[in-house]
Amino acid sequence: MGAEAVVALRGHSVVKKRIPKDYRIAELDTKLRRERTRLEAKIQSDARRAGVPTPILEAIDSFSITMERIEGPPVSSVMSEAVAEDIGAVLCALHSAGIVHGDPTTRNMILSAGKVYMIDFGLSSYDRSLEARGVDVHVFFQTLQATDDRFPALKDAFLAGYARNCSNAALILEKVNEIKERGRYL
Amino acid sequence: MTVLGIEGTAWNLSASLVDDDEVLCEASSAYIPASGGIHPREAAQHVANNIAGVIRQVLSSTDPRLIEGVAFSQGPGLGPCLRIVGTAARALSLRLGVPLVGVNHCVAHIEVGRWKTDLVDPIVLYVSGANSQVLSYRQQRYRILGETLDIGIGNCLDKFARSAGLPHPGGPKVERLAQESRNYLPMPYVVKGMDFSFSGIVTAATEALKSASLEEICYSFQETAFSMLVEVSERALSQMDKSDLLLAGGVGANARLQEMLSVMCAQRGARFYAPKSEYLQDNGAMIAHTGLLMLRHGIQTAIACSGANPSFRPDEVEVPWIETH
Repeated sequence: MGAEAVVALRGHSVVKKRIPKDYRIAELDTKLRRERTRLEAKIQSDARRAGVPTPILEAIDSFSITMERIEGPPVSSVMSEAVAEDIGAVLCALHSAGIVHGDPTTRNMILSAGKVYMIDFGLSSYDRSLEARGVDVHVFFQTLQATDDRFPALKDAFLAGYARNCSNAALILEKVNEIKERGRYL
Repeated sequence: MTVLGIEGTAWNLSASLVDDDEVLCEASSAYIPASGGIHPREAAQHVANNIAGVIRQVLSSTDPRLIEGVAFSQGPGLGPCLRIVGTAARALSLRLGVPLVGVNHCVAHIEVGRWKTDLVDPIVLYVSGANSQVLSYRQQRYRILGETLDIGIGNCLDKFARSAGLPHPGGPKVERLAQESRNYLPMPYVVKGMDFSFSGIVTAATEALKSASLEEICYSFQETAFSMLVEVSERALSQMDKSDLLLAGGVGANARLQEMLSVMCAQRGARFYAPKSEYLQDNGAMIAHTGLLMLRHGIQTAIACSGANPSFRPDEVEVPWIETH
């Protein structure tokens, strides 16, 4: 069961609807769901325009988005060094388009027809800062480290893919290390 | 097995004696700042002045010859406090002729929660003054799935409370004032994956003091900050495919936070557990209990390795005592 939205398959389409969360007060809940739905749709289509594989948008209303269905497994279940390298290249393309994903976990990427598709742009934003890109990579490393024992090799493969078209990969890695240190009790 | 544990990372100095089944004895001495927040030097002075007393109280409740190990909080925490606790623990272990074991304070919060709720493998939301993390056990370690990118939720509440002129600790006062309002003022809501950030809320809330009532601000502050914590806890349950959530750490005593977590869990068919507040706040029993688990699994700390570790991370600790299937 997903944390944020209910996803329903309708033929060749996917309808992603943000359901109300009873734990949040209505003002905050409605605001977050509306903003996230609108932003997700906008960023997802901008990412696609920039050459990042993402589902094609079909329709949008206040709290739901209808989009093309991408067939394939989440990368978490087919992870390999080659896949990690592709993820690096895709994230570099996204960052180069001025977008950060915000939640680039291994469950938010689908391997379909040999391509890594990015889905769930619900926490994305337009941000070109090293800081935001560093947080993206940090989030990805954290899910990888928490769920896969081959982490060191996968991390290297990811960085190689990222560095292919993004010349600032070393700077990003430095930033990731800084972010990792920051959350600590010193 | 009977183990004596000493906790002293920040504000609550506490010694406790536990066996495999229960807490046998506990003696505590809280440091309450005269003004402002926790001052590291004063906190350490408090530990130095009171540590002999709390240990003596616990020792006098039993025959010291029955004690089979001495556990102490090795970190994370304030270095000056940790060093005094370590010195006392080393002396006690040498005097009693029993093994010494250095315990990670965060892991101890989790372990006492598991002990008191009988959970095996939950997602843990650990919220205290300096720490705010979402953790999940996997292969001999508690893995950090997400955490604050800047300050802990407790420090965030205390910082704001200080600028509003409320005495330390601010959390309980903010909680009480929040109950007096239902008027929500938007505050920065920052969640990045399973990480989150609180510094923007402190700034926004402090700024709002100029134009809004304290009750409104406290209400909006809690609703925003806690919604972020609940959102990442839910994401962790989803990502790790788990159905139990355990709350740990002193901020966990907040009734509104507990309510929100319990509503979230009910809505997705998960189960929510929080130990009693005496086991949410810093306590000696959590150190003694975790020390006991470590000793039972052959883990001891040599004197040479027993130095204070102020930035000790929970994922540095080997956890061989959890059996999952």
